Parts: sequence; structure tokens; C-alpha cells
Amino acid sequence: MAAPLELFCWKGDYGLPSVDVDCLTVLAYAKFAGAPLKVHKITNPWRSPTGTLPALKTREEGSISQPSKIIIHLRKQKYNADYDLSAKEGADTLAFVSLLEEKLLPALIYTLWIDSKNYVDVTRRWYAENISFPLNFLLPNRMHCQQLEKLRLVRGDPVLEPGEQLEKELYRDAFECMTLLSQRLGSQKFFFGDSPSSLDAYVFAHLAPLLKIKLPNGKLQQHLTSLNNLQQYCTNILALYFPSDAREAPGRKTHAQPDSSDLDNEPHKRRNQVLSVLFAVGAMLGYAILTGIVSIKRERPQLKNSGHDDGDEEDED
Amino acid sequence: MSLAAEAFVSQIAAAEPWPENATLYQPLKEDQILLSDSASSLAVQTFLRMCGLPVLVSCRANAEYMSPSGKVPFIHVGNQVVSELGPIVQFTKAKGHSLSDGLDDVQRAEMKAYMELVNNMLLTAELYIQWCDDHTATEISRPRYSSPYSWPLNHILAYQKQWEVRRKMNAIGWSGKSLEQVYEDVSQCCQALSQRLGTQPYFFSKQPTELDALVFGHLFTILTTQLTNDELAEKVKSYTNLLSFCHRIEQTYFKEHERESQSGSSRHSKGSLP
Repeated sequence: MAAPLELFCWKGDYGLPSVDVDCLTVLAYAKFAGAPLKVHKITNPWRSPTGTLPALKTREEGSISQPSKIIIHLRKQKYNADYDLSAKEGADTLAFVSLLEEKLLPALIYTLWIDSKNYVDVTRRWYAENISFPLNFLLPNRMHCQQLEKLRLVRGDPVLEPGEQLEKELYRDAFECMTLLSQRLGSQKFFFGDSPSSLDAYVFAHLAPLLKIKLPNGKLQQHLTSLNNLQQYCTNILALYFPSDAREAPGRKTHAQPDSSDLDNEPHKRRNQVLSVLFAVGAMLGYAILTGIVSIKRERPQLKNSGHDDGDEEDED
Repeated sequence: MSLAAEAFVSQIAAAEPWPENATLYQPLKEDQILLSDSASSLAVQTFLRMCGLPVLVSCRANAEYMSPSGKVPFIHVGNQVVSELGPIVQFTKAKGHSLSDGLDDVQRAEMKAYMELVNNMLLTAELYIQWCDDHTATEISRPRYSSPYSWPLNHILAYQKQWEVRRKMNAIGWSGKSLEQVYEDVSQCCQALSQRLGTQPYFFSKQPTELDALVFGHLFTILTTQLTNDELAEKVKSYTNLLSFCHRIEQTYFKEHERESQSGSSRHSKGSLP
């Protein structure tokens, strides 16, 4: 047998196998379909073969990054979670995935990346703490800008400004979408009976972050927890298919509370040390240059002279 | 439309009956309108006909700039202006005209999901073919889109629009797709719609809903619009139940209406189905 395919994705936290929606989709689908993947959970998208996460390294087609394409590739490798679905159920899958992408995803982007309190307190902090040193200053901001840009283009509003108005519109759509999903799910275990399909992977990936990540501004969260069957559905999938991550969470959470202050202080301390050293070096260099400018200026005329000489020579020629 | 305005609208909308002079605005039908706008406009017209609400169709060169959301079509009813199918459906519902009241919760969820499928795949595919396929963009989209304007505004506006659509495609991950893949997506979408429709007269058995209006608007426009090649229409034509579905709605809501009321203003001047 050939070696298993390699999947690169964002590492997990908060009791989730990954913090990113797209990565979660792929991970959940792979579990549902029973695909034996070698998963690399990393925190540096630049180390992925495509430069973005998730990414699947394949033998024939190079590396692919879009979740839908990864799922199609896995399906071609005979890891098909939708094998038992009727044609109509396949059509329903397509329709509900569209519903998620059009109605829930914009609100999810907003709540994680645009809402300033959530972004500063949770999202940026998580990425800044987990991405390695020089990139952690750069990447969270860049991702924030990319997400804002995406939201603008998807909404077709080039001057879209985050604010109450936008939040209300997005959340209204998202509430409706969640309610519709809850109604469609009813009392079933999965969307199409007793075994999970690709639609379950998508729904789970879009809802689980809302359920697990504790956000200061948690309106979406509140609505989701009010829909008991959807909440139960996510918890079930986590317990059944990602037992290690789900079990890790509560233990880590309780530890995290007292630990977090120490853990937070630790990198901050180190960062402060690095910053202060940098500042000191900068100040010294600045002083040196300040005094050095004089010497440089003294030298420049010579340089310029030589340059002028060249020019003069040419002129003379 | 702003949210406060929307709440206000739904409050007073309920009080006022549907006026006789309600108007739907869209770009110029013969020279300017593009496939995607034409489809959206036809969807709204079909929806209003299904509700039995009369509307005059008015073509304006600057319809896009008149619309509150920047998207066509929009309707002007009494004191209110509402754009796009989704808000229009809510607006007429506030006035007491709804097509989806007879559905149960699960059916309503499915209806919304399929409407998003059409928006997410068919509409995006139409936009892609119009603006991202270079051949179609140069031959059809840019000249038509900018036809009411003189030089140099025509070029500026057309390229601006094209750039905007391309950036959107980039953001939703469609820019890497080839034309073939987009046709494949359209086919997949039609396949899903065809499966859902089955042998029923409408998507949810005997009564039409807003989903039927939306699907008809897009499919009928794709079938009757001349593009650089007819591959897009061919994709739709391979699903016979969708074809007869379009036929049925055209017969019921456009041909009969025309015979009953010979009002020229709301005449539907599209070619009939093949």
C-alpha cells in the first residue's frame, strides 16, 4: 500500500481538532470517510506546500488547498462518505452547503475576524501566541485584512464598514440559517440518517468553532446554544470522531485558567526582554548614527567629489 | 436597505394595499441588460405574477445607480423602494402576499437552501462567464454594459465593473477555475435542481413558491439568451424535466396573462423556448 496522504492544517485548541473552519471541514470529512491521512497540525501557513491551510499533498495532482477540491480528491481515492446517499440527498447536500456559505460564513468571518472585541481579545491573541516569533506580528493582521476584503467583496459593498448595522444584517441571516439547519436536522443523529456525510462535515465545521471558542461578543453563540439539537449534534461529533481533542479540552481549560496568566506572562516577558534589548540597541545605533552622520557627511563630499569627478571626466570627454 | 428602514417599511407596508402603479426598474432590455441581471429581473417579475401583483416594467439606463443596494432589479411601490428578490419576498409577505405559507419547517429550510444554491452557483457562474471569460467580456458584456454611455465613460465603467467582479471571483475562490469547470458546476447545479424537482409540477408539489420563480428566472434566461456559444444553454437542455418546468411556468404566467390583459407595458418580449 502506498503511504498515506499528508494533510497540513491549523492546530487545534478549545477542544477542537483545528481552529480553522476549512481545516475542520477536511478533518471531519476524512474521519467520516475513514481516510487514513497523516495530519500535520502546524501554526505556520508558510510551511504548508501551497502557502495556505489546509493543504493536501497528493501524488498525482500536486498539492491542493480548497476544501471542496480536497474532498473531491478523497472521493476519487474511494474514501467516500456520501456513498449511501440517494441522488436527491446529494442535491440537498449541494443546496445546504450553499446555504452555509452564503448565510452563515459571512457572519462567522465577522464574529471571529471583524468584531473588534472578539478579534483583539481572542482571534488575534490566539494566532499571535501560536504562530512563531517574527510571523506572529505580521500574519494575524494580514489575515484580518484578507477576511475584511473577502467580506466586502462577497457582500458587494466596497465601502463596507464594520458596525452595528452590518452586524445586525449578517447575524439576522446567520440566525435564520442556524434555525433552518436545526429544523432540517430535527431529531436525527446526522443530516441523512445514521451515518455522517460531507454535509455533516461542512455543518460541523461551521458550527463547532462558534460552540467551543469563548468569545466576549457571543450573540451567534447564544443563538446556537438555544438550538438544542444542533448543539447536541456538534458535541456528539466531537465526542465520537475526535475523542482525544474533546477529552483534552476540559482538562486543559481548567488548567488554562490559572496557567494562562503565567503562560501569558512568560511570552510577554520574553517579548518584553527582546523588545527592550532591541530598543536599547536601536537607541545606541541611533546615537552612533547621529554622531556618525557628521562623519558620513564628512566622507560624502569625498564620495560625491569622486562621483562628480567621474561625471566631470565624462563631461570633459 | 437599512435595517431601521426595513422595520419601518414592514410596519407601514402591512397597512397599505398593493398600489396599481407599482413599478419594476431594470436596465435597457434590448441594448444593455446582461444575462445575470436579466435573470434576476425575470425572477422578480415571475414571483410578482405568481402572487398576482401587477407591476409595470420600466427600463432605465441608470437602473443600477438608482437601486438602493446597487443591484437590479428593484421595485417602487407606493413610497418604498426595495431591491433584489430576497427583500422583495419579505416586503410582499408584510403586505400579506406569500407563496410559501403552506410549507412546513423542513420544506421551508429546503426551499431557502435551494435558493442559495441557485444564487451561489448559477448566478456566480453567469457572472463568471460574463466578465471572466475574455471572449464573452469583449464581444458582449463590455459593449452592452456601457452602451448608454459615451467615450471615455463607457470604457471606464465597463472595466471598473469587470475588475470588481473579478476581485469577487478571487475572494470566493473561483478565479482559479477554467471555463470548463464552470460549465461543469452549472451542470452539477442543474442536476441537483432536476433531482429535487423530479416529476412534480413545481418544486414543492402543486403550488409555486419563490424558489420556482428564481429557478425559472435563471433557467429561462439562460435558455433564451444568445451568448458567444450555446454551451451554457446546452447544459440546461440536457435536463428534460427542467425544460418542461420552464415551459409550464411560461405558459401559465406569461402567455395566459398576455392573452387576458393586453397591457403592453408588462409584456414579456423574450423569445419562447426551443
